Amino acid sequence: MRSAWILGVALWAPGFRDAAAWLSGAQERSVVAPPAEVLPPMLRRRASFLARLTGEVAAQAAREARADLAAVPVVFGSAHGEVATAVEMMRSFREGEGLPSPTRFHNSVHNAAAAYLSIAAGSHGFSTAIAAGKETPAAALVEAGALLAERGGEVLVVLADEPAPEPFTAAADHPPAGLALLLSAEPRAGARARLSGLRRTAGVSPEVPGALGRHPCSGAFALVAAVAGGVRGAVPIAPGWIVEVDQP
Amino acid sequence: MGAGTSRAAYPVTAFTVGNALGARTEDVLAALRASRSGLAPCRLDLPFDTSCGAFPGPLDPVPAPLSSHDSRLARLALAVLDGAFASAVERAARRWGRDRLAIVLGTSTGGILESERAFDAHARSGALPPDYDFERQHAFFALVEVVRARTGAGGPAYVVSTACSSSGKVLGAARRLLAAGVADAVLAGGADTLCQTTLRGFASLEALSRRPCRPFGAERDGTSIGEGAAFLLVERAGDGPARLLGVGESSDAHHMSHPHPEGLGARLAMAEALRQAGLEPALVDHVNAHGTGTRANDGVEARAIAEIFGRAVPVASTKGYTGHLLGAAGATEAVFAIFALEHGFVPESLGAAPLDPEVGIDVCLERRAGRFRAVLSNSFGFGGSNVSVLLGAPA
Repeated sequence: MRSAWILGVALWAPGFRDAAAWLSGAQERSVVAPPAEVLPPMLRRRASFLARLTGEVAAQAAREARADLAAVPVVFGSAHGEVATAVEMMRSFREGEGLPSPTRFHNSVHNAAAAYLSIAAGSHGFSTAIAAGKETPAAALVEAGALLAERGGEVLVVLADEPAPEPFTAAADHPPAGLALLLSAEPRAGARARLSGLRRTAGVSPEVPGALGRHPCSGAFALVAAVAGGVRGAVPIAPGWIVEVDQP
Repeated sequence: MGAGTSRAAYPVTAFTVGNALGARTEDVLAALRASRSGLAPCRLDLPFDTSCGAFPGPLDPVPAPLSSHDSRLARLALAVLDGAFASAVERAARRWGRDRLAIVLGTSTGGILESERAFDAHARSGALPPDYDFERQHAFFALVEVVRARTGAGGPAYVVSTACSSSGKVLGAARRLLAAGVADAVLAGGADTLCQTTLRGFASLEALSRRPCRPFGAERDGTSIGEGAAFLLVERAGDGPARLLGVGESSDAHHMSHPHPEGLGARLAMAEALRQAGLEPALVDHVNAHGTGTRANDGVEARAIAEIFGRAVPVASTKGYTGHLLGAAGATEAVFAIFALEHGFVPESLGAAPLDPEVGIDVCLERRAGRFRAVLSNSFGFGGSNVSVLLGAPA
């Protein structure tokens, strides 16, 4: 990965409305669902939780970076994607005529969250949805870094996962949470940090305290904490992966 | 789009494909040549009748030490990732170094078939089956872990899952990883299995035909679903049957499951692939269409193809052979595009006759021989995710 500058950082988790709230540890009981005002009401009503979470963090990051969501390429990363919708579908196979609702079916695809965002923003450009288990944050930065190398400009990285519902909860039991990074190929006044040197390194693992430590994208939360904390140097962002962080 | 987009054309040095037409590449090629469909009445336990393209024969379980990764998806992927292709990957790993070999795979459903079975077992007995493993079977990344272990690749490895465009977009990722210097060789491909989720899901949209699907045909009334896998090895340099000239990726920004009525996203993807290749539309000799066989999709795609290429370019949909392979469609049809370059034929667009007069493009109603130098393959998915893959004959 060549250098990428972080122009915007956004985060949503239960109790935490944004990155600043999460970093300060000031939990609010009233924060239980991402507002996702970027999605028009009709779209928001049909959107899955993950799509609303994605809309929320994408809009927060774009606001800070003054980026245009209609124009910026999107890399959405999630280990398990729309797992709640997928399991709801399985339940519907055992009821009535054995068919899911059409909305639930099209909401079950891994790129649904990125698609709702592109529809809301009117973006006809690049959008992708990837998955790489606990390596998802690293894979998303690989894809984003290659996009920046190819096209220059900016790219929005969203990382989000929800827990698996019953009967699969034991396999993915973590808070529904996500974050977004607005990255630029060029330095810009007000950039939060510079990322470079993304690479595989055996034996490293990100450390995130609390329930988010079990989140498949925990390394991305570790990166947000490192950037805010003024850390310089190698930060583990996934098992076996580091990225170098520089402060401007 | 960025002015810095590279015009490099990377060689596809090896490929392999398996689906309802056969487990081996040569079986698939022979069926396409002979206009022989792999679609048959679907044997899954479903509350409706439909045709589908099942992978032939029993599949070997995933061997130790990966037996906990055993799933139909992994079995199918390993069956297709056969000896000759695996040897080519091994050669690439030795040439460039294992850490310079990346894996990017497309799948729309991952191992959800195993979770459907586990969900049913739990509903009946109150317990998940003892050999069920969410992380190693259901999760998208399980497919990559199996292929990573089989090949020893040490570079970046991930899944692209954008519904029916997934394994076309992996070729876009491959191109970018090579251009950015992240990797020197990329194992790109896709795999998907038949499962309740997609069959019942498409039925809920009233998008499934009872009979084998008939893309572009006057009598088309829905698609057929299939299962299969295809893998392509794309390298920084080398000799092979084709070159990856461009991969256009776009979004409809219109609706989750209906295409843009004017085919805007489809046109953007095709135009971007041409732009990357630096190729005039007139130099494209054949389009392998997405062509699912639903009333709406084929009409919109035909119009978009005509707007970019005119009405004379030979077009075929191969969904009438394999069914719609969803997350494996893009890579499979990229291989079919290479067949056209390598063996000089466009397959008969099965089911298209009698042709829908409103389609207005040159759909191949019989196999057409010729010299094909550049071939485009379209894949369009839910959420308005579009990809057009442009492949050319060796320089």
